[in-house]
Amino acid sequence: MLHSVMESVRQVIPIPAVVQSPNVLEDTVIQRDIEVFVGFTGHAYGRIVIQGECKTFSKLGEFMYGMPLEGDILHSFVGELANMVAGNTSILISNKGITIDITPPTVMVEKLHLHGYERGISVPVQFENVGEINIILLLQNQGDG
Amino acid sequence: MAKVLIVDDAAFMRMMLKNILQKGGHEVVGEAENGLMAIEKYRNLIPDFVTMDITMPVMEGIEAVKQIKVSDPNANIIMCSAMGQQSLIVQAIQAGAKDFIVKPFHEERVLESVRKVLGA
Repeated sequence: MLHSVMESVRQVIPIPAVVQSPNVLEDTVIQRDIEVFVGFTGHAYGRIVIQGECKTFSKLGEFMYGMPLEGDILHSFVGELANMVAGNTSILISNKGITIDITPPTVMVEKLHLHGYERGISVPVQFENVGEINIILLLQNQGDG
Repeated sequence: MAKVLIVDDAAFMRMMLKNILQKGGHEVVGEAENGLMAIEKYRNLIPDFVTMDITMPVMEGIEAVKQIKVSDPNANIIMCSAMGQQSLIVQAIQAGAKDFIVKPFHEERVLESVRKVLGA
């Protein structure tokens, strides 16, 4: 699942990037400018979280769509970015016989306390001339939460 | 120039599609944030074609396609979604969509789809 998420990130964001080593998520408090959650259900159950600074997401928007983004449109872009990452992940893993459905994204702009997941994996991704975002995969046993 | 209704819950994506379609010479006559709004706006605006997201709150896109096709069997609807599994594409086409674009998309792909759907 993590491999498909990271492959999806590379496909959706066509900017040279250094993917750092995955870390087991231990700190249940995450605090960046923006976090976005997309839930998934089906053969796997959990959430994909993307977090980062506003300026990084704004630059990503500029690289991908030719314009710097701010305010509500920036938040909407961040939600859509997560939607595209999760959606493309679902395509990639469907080729391996795993079917998942995804929820609409939820964008948060505050400090978060994460609870109710079995395993969490965090992968920082450094995009060239843009900055770093953090990809988090939260896995739950089906039916939990 | 064709009249288009853009349906997507993300304001950013509606803005991008609007820019692309206007550059392609089309008139954006309306926007909707979910499937239910899309059905109402389709009835009122009678667009030449619709771009329809799938994963949306209130009512998802494939259900909206089915309902629009009941009232107008000739509706031209292009699905525009980040979810592009084969099974979903088949569901959308069976519901009555005429083409399927997977996000992130390129301007040329969107305009090519419109030309194809409108038979231009």
